[in-house]
Amino acid sequence: MTCIATFYSHFGAIRFKKTCEGMGWPARLMPVPRNLSSSCGTCVRYEGECPAVIPEEVEQIAVLEGEGYRPLYRAENS
Amino acid sequence: MNVKKERSAIVVSGLLIGVIAVGLVVLGNPANMGFCIACFLRDISGAVGLHQAAAVQYIRPEIPGLVLGSLAMALVKKEFSPRGGSAPISRFVLGFFVMIGCLMFLGCPFRMILRLAGGDGNALFGFAGFAVGILAGVFFLNKGYSLKRTYKQPAAEGGVLPAIMAVLLALLVFVPGLLHFTEAGGGPGALRAAVWVSLAAGLVVGALAQRTRLCMVGGIRDLVLFREPKLILGFAAIFLAALVANLCLGKFAPGFAEQPVAHTDGLWNALGMFLAGYGCVLLGGCPLRQLVLSGEGNADSAAAVLGLLVGAAFSHNFGLASSAAGPTDAGRVAVVIGIAVVSVIACANTFGKKQ
Repeated sequence: MTCIATFYSHFGAIRFKKTCEGMGWPARLMPVPRNLSSSCGTCVRYEGECPAVIPEEVEQIAVLEGEGYRPLYRAENS
Repeated sequence: MNVKKERSAIVVSGLLIGVIAVGLVVLGNPANMGFCIACFLRDISGAVGLHQAAAVQYIRPEIPGLVLGSLAMALVKKEFSPRGGSAPISRFVLGFFVMIGCLMFLGCPFRMILRLAGGDGNALFGFAGFAVGILAGVFFLNKGYSLKRTYKQPAAEGGVLPAIMAVLLALLVFVPGLLHFTEAGGGPGALRAAVWVSLAAGLVVGALAQRTRLCMVGGIRDLVLFREPKLILGFAAIFLAALVANLCLGKFAPGFAEQPVAHTDGLWNALGMFLAGYGCVLLGGCPLRQLVLSGEGNADSAAAVLGLLVGAAFSHNFGLASSAAGPTDAGRVAVVIGIAVVSVIACANTFGKKQ
């Protein structure tokens, strides 16, 4: 499935992308889509699933469904 | 909203904002200064007595309008999200030095576009410096720069800056005797559109900027990082609309000498905006974006806005701000110090932490 992960820092996104690629999940960096968040940071769009261990830099992960998103994970207290 | 719709929305918003900016000049604001976040925060700083430069004192209703317009849109769209705790003091210092850079150039990135659209060639040097400053910031982003995560905050925390803005507006309307005002003919602070016009313009632009995430820094940053032109299209649309409006109204005056509220020192125009661009990337957005995020409840951006406000006061209390006569020696020293301080913050939050 196509997922979008958002982060607290640009570098967190760079590292997560490498993690995805290491697991064989195609991934790319892009600006956060407007309909997912009003933040203007960096996200990773990847073909995969919610990782078993989620790095602390990840703010949220959502799966793309049609024109919208279904949340899979959101960092505590965010 | 898919990418195509996002691009259309930001272009339409940019065109509207460009027209509004020129409209404000027609209705009384200083030339090429329909909007200038740095200049307007500087005027507010003077109006409440934080500095005594008589030429630039006025509560510019555009600023409360931007924050409250963003707040209103965020509430309507259920995006008001109080959060904070991401290095607020570092953000305050970054905001402080971004203002020092802006007042060396005499304008924020928003006014830089409006100056270009008015034919002010000096802004080309500012634009070059601004772009290089953004590249410097992007270098640190790619190396691991982070001011760490934000945390959810109580609603009251997110509402503090909008409340301050509402109070400033109330003082202007109901108890103006408490405030300082530039006297008629006394300088740019005396040139202003009617309060309700300025407020309405701020509200509309704040709401549009919240919806589109318009950011003068984000445009170049996203183009460099992702080859994504969406945000820079907003930048281009503002320029285009303001340029056409200026041409239609006979307000386009190409050249370098005697441009309104500007000086001709190319090197320091460039270095001022280098500092502004560099600091803004580390803050995550331009001064306009900081105001808009404050309206969404972001207390970290509110800290940056307070840094901008205090930076403006220091600029005028210590003779750091440029004038039409050019930069001051103290201003040159302050910009160099600012570049050094911003670099220390960048390095400390890139290399000085566990990866």
